[in-house]
Amino acid sequence: MKQETSNQKKQPGIASLLKPYAGMIFLLILFTLLGNGFNLWLPRIIGQGVDAYTHGTFDAGPLSLKFSLAVFVILVFTYLQNILQTYASEKVAKDLRTSLSDKISRQQYYWVEQANPSRLLTNLIADVDSIKMYVSLAVATLASSIFIIIGACILLLIINWKLALAVMAILPIIGVSFFMVMKKVRTLFLNNREVMDWLNRVINESILGAALIRVINSQQLEYNKFLGANTRALNFGVSILRIFAGLIPVITLIASLGSLIILVLGGHFVISGSMTMGDYAAFSAYLTLLIFPILLIGFMSNVIAQATASYQRISAVLNAPDTSGKGTVNASVQGNIEFRNVTVKYGEKEVLKNISFSVKAGTKVAVIGPTAAGKTQLLYLLTGLIQPTSGEVLVDGYTVADYDSGFYHNQVGFVFQDSIIFNMSIRENIAFNQQVTAGSMEKAVTTAELKEFIASLPEKEDTIVSERGSSLSGGQKQRVMLARALALEPRLLLLDDFTARVDTNTEKKILDNVQYNYAGITLLSVTQKIASVEHYDQILLLMQGEIIAGGTHQELMHSSPEYVQIYKSQQSTSNYELQS
Amino acid sequence: MNYNLSQFPEKQHRASNLAAFRNLLQLISTEKKNLVLALAAMLVNSGLSLLGPFLIGYAIDHYITHKQFHGVLIFGGILLGAYLLAFLVNYFQMRLMGGVGQHTLFTLRNAVFHKIQELPVAFFNQNKAGDLISRVNNDTDKLNQFFSQSLMQFVSNIVTMFGAGIFLLVINYRAGMIALVPAVLILIFTRVLSPWVKRKNAASMKTTGNLSAEIQESLNNFKVIIAFNRRDYFRKRFNEVNETNYQTSVKAGLANNVFLPFYAMCSSMAQLLVLAGGVYMIAKGEFTIGLLVSYLAYVNYFYSPLRSLASLWANFQIAMAGWDRISEILGLESNLTTIEDRTSTGASASLLEFRDVHFGYPGGKEILHNISFNLEKGKTYALVGPTGGGKTTTASLIARLYDPTSGAVLLNGRDIRSYSAEVRSQQIGFILQEPFLFTGTVRENLLYGNSQYESYTNEQLEQVIKEANLEKLLALFEEGLETKVASSGDSISLGQKQLIAFMRAVLRKPGLLILDEATANIDTVTEQLLGEILERLPQETTRVIIAHRLNTIESADEIFFVNSGEVTRAGSLQNAMDKLMNTGISS
Repeated sequence: MKQETSNQKKQPGIASLLKPYAGMIFLLILFTLLGNGFNLWLPRIIGQGVDAYTHGTFDAGPLSLKFSLAVFVILVFTYLQNILQTYASEKVAKDLRTSLSDKISRQQYYWVEQANPSRLLTNLIADVDSIKMYVSLAVATLASSIFIIIGACILLLIINWKLALAVMAILPIIGVSFFMVMKKVRTLFLNNREVMDWLNRVINESILGAALIRVINSQQLEYNKFLGANTRALNFGVSILRIFAGLIPVITLIASLGSLIILVLGGHFVISGSMTMGDYAAFSAYLTLLIFPILLIGFMSNVIAQATASYQRISAVLNAPDTSGKGTVNASVQGNIEFRNVTVKYGEKEVLKNISFSVKAGTKVAVIGPTAAGKTQLLYLLTGLIQPTSGEVLVDGYTVADYDSGFYHNQVGFVFQDSIIFNMSIRENIAFNQQVTAGSMEKAVTTAELKEFIASLPEKEDTIVSERGSSLSGGQKQRVMLARALALEPRLLLLDDFTARVDTNTEKKILDNVQYNYAGITLLSVTQKIASVEHYDQILLLMQGEIIAGGTHQELMHSSPEYVQIYKSQQSTSNYELQS
Repeated sequence: MNYNLSQFPEKQHRASNLAAFRNLLQLISTEKKNLVLALAAMLVNSGLSLLGPFLIGYAIDHYITHKQFHGVLIFGGILLGAYLLAFLVNYFQMRLMGGVGQHTLFTLRNAVFHKIQELPVAFFNQNKAGDLISRVNNDTDKLNQFFSQSLMQFVSNIVTMFGAGIFLLVINYRAGMIALVPAVLILIFTRVLSPWVKRKNAASMKTTGNLSAEIQESLNNFKVIIAFNRRDYFRKRFNEVNETNYQTSVKAGLANNVFLPFYAMCSSMAQLLVLAGGVYMIAKGEFTIGLLVSYLAYVNYFYSPLRSLASLWANFQIAMAGWDRISEILGLESNLTTIEDRTSTGASASLLEFRDVHFGYPGGKEILHNISFNLEKGKTYALVGPTGGGKTTTASLIARLYDPTSGAVLLNGRDIRSYSAEVRSQQIGFILQEPFLFTGTVRENLLYGNSQYESYTNEQLEQVIKEANLEKLLALFEEGLETKVASSGDSISLGQKQLIAFMRAVLRKPGLLILDEATANIDTVTEQLLGEILERLPQETTRVIIAHRLNTIESADEIFFVNSGEVTRAGSLQNAMDKLMNTGISS
């Protein structure tokens, strides 16, 4: 049901895709038609030659000249057609990719997660490719095929309308079988694309999880998973093939019947003297001209069906509602934070339940709590990565969504929990935001205690770090990410479990550096270690999406048994922490 | 071994099309029978379709010109029979050839995937995920397009063309020669330009790989792009690779289109040549007008498949360029082969021993310098030290994700390289620093690669989990074993991922369990629970713990201090602490 409606919506879509290239497509079709027009002339010249010979008026000179001229013109036009075809298809592909990436880049984080990055990857590469193929092959082929069919039909009619009508009777039969096949194959192509998504996911996960697979020695298992998906793909491929395997022979048979009609009926006309032998020769030549484009359309139907399925997927992305913020406030951030009855739901699950608290600018706040308590989501709300399902998150009296997002993000530094390092130089990784100056980068590097490490690298800041940062240790990645956040000279610094991968000694130094170099900064830190945050202005204890206690360390030690339990779980080691 | 595909020397591409195609055929040797059958069908089919013009020509010469309509009717009947037979054979052939194409794609994808599974971790660290995905998906798809859409036409066109060529020569040797002159031009033209076309396509595919890598990186890290206000930067980087891809694709497209117009011109010229030559020969009495008409048709039968071959030939070049890129992967071998044990000493007191181990990542500096230590059965060891000191590298060598550049790692006194991957992975459990989950349920992830419990019901499995003392951890997941998890995204927290990775490793009951900061993002109360679970593992289990948080290593029997590529015994916890406090941060 759903597919039916979306199919109908997409039909004008794939044509409207070509609208901006109308000029190019027009020229393309024009050159194609001109080339083909001259092509139609060739059999005529040959036919005239045969006739001239039978009448004894054959003159090789002018005939060859005429013929060679036509051939040359055809050569020029086909080259022009092919050049245009290449440019048009590549340009459509490039522009489609650009508008997809523009669209994606304007979307919010949750949208991208929901749309699923590996599916978007297929959209951007494979789906665009099949549309490219459609433009480069189908548009010109369809135009020229239809033109040749019409042209050949007219010429046939001119030569002998009775015979022509008899031959043309085959066309509707071909049309009907064609239509039936296309209808049947459409859903198969969409299903096939879905299997491809699945196949891609298996490949993606087997690449991203390569280390785990090797530790567990589960290569065979992965291979079996892949085999499952691949077998499904094979079955779909074979079912699609069966349908097309029926179509082409049917078209060929029907077209061959055309020759039969010409032989019998045309033979009759020639015998009865109502048709010349030369006309007869031209007639059979035009029939070959007529059959070939019909066969081509048969082969193109595959490309068209595939492109239609791909375009449907791409339109779904392009027509998705914009989720980007429309905020306009560009006040500078002081750092007064207030959460008012904030609830966040992921599907049915409440991740945060009715959270309210406030933070004064320039203070230091820690959020502690067990795994999956919703700590990270708290920070995501402040960054605008997710939106509250209900309630408000206010920064200096405005909701995060009220802010002009560019302006806001330039003042908020966020150190993510998972290591995210881009495959570029250390400098680009740290000065990730455009407005970072040499000075602020220097300060950030010093603060994150990266100076010595960078100095030890072969090409200093210009050393390229590999994808997923596998050439850096866990702690080094974490510090690069801190430097990235600090280089913004943020007013508000959000740390998500920053200390997890940095040793105690380094951690202390770094936090001291932050205090010293970025005085007055508002700090919100999600952490596991109480020892490092004991002196903070406020500590929030988050459990299962609820704030169950809040206050200074001393207050919590008296008021919250849960806090005391966490404290005790760490106490034996805090002796060592205190020594340093 | 160098696994970096982007640094592969160009010389591999020099291999001729024929040799490459032969390799490809070898891979699909199982399809031989179908291929032969399809070829036979194709021959019959082409023969039948060539018979048509011959019958028509004969009917014209003998009946139409002599005004005998009943003969025309008889030939019409014969023709109809031939067409119907051709229809059946055609269908049979399409089915068979299409099947061959689909099965080839299937086999090819399996082969690439299987090869990738054989390769070591180093391969994945040296190549971008997006580029690999592009090779497995897009490049095999280029071959798919050739096999599923072009191969049938390709072979049948070649067969028809050859058939028509032979007909042309047999019917009249001299007229045939005249008709085939332009074909020689085409042959030369094709031979000269094909390598260039293939090169252009290879370049274009490479940029597609880069495009894919860029998208992969940006989309998987989209939250950083948003939080750091770099949507414009994402667009800019994307536009750059998109533009490069456009440039190379246009070049490849133009190259692919170079054949068709030329082929078309040559085929038209052939008609003129036949007409002129035919007229000349009729004048000399060597040819008839009926023969000339059917001859002109045969010329078409020869050249119109040749014309379609022009674009198919380009497809073939694309497929071959894709095949080259795939062959680069298929040609790689794992450098972690199982060897004969040379150091066999029989029973050994220590479970695991490092003997004068040196190690450096390929193309990088040496990371570990001359390391020797041993681990005894049933004890708990901790590796501590500043970040970047070599802890993870040491652990990776224990799990044989890499081999030492010199020296040896011994497991139970035998070189670890002499164990099969199966035996080794059963004995050594390694919880990686970056936990990885497969999209599915908690159950699927816990039992991942663990065939022992596969057939268990959830109740039975819960019992097993209870026996392993893991039930409190499982209780942290709202829907227990059936909780859904996704590989990417934030539907599940990093701490939860670490919990699943932990449970997964414990359920495998390894003799040696390595935890590489495996609990870093888990709260300290749950972490105590993990500590208890570790304590209660079977007595003979050896544990190696890498951690920054000291409470996790308190219970260690021995502490190793890892810094600047050296591993030293630290003695007591206090001593280790002092060392840690007194070292610089950077190594």
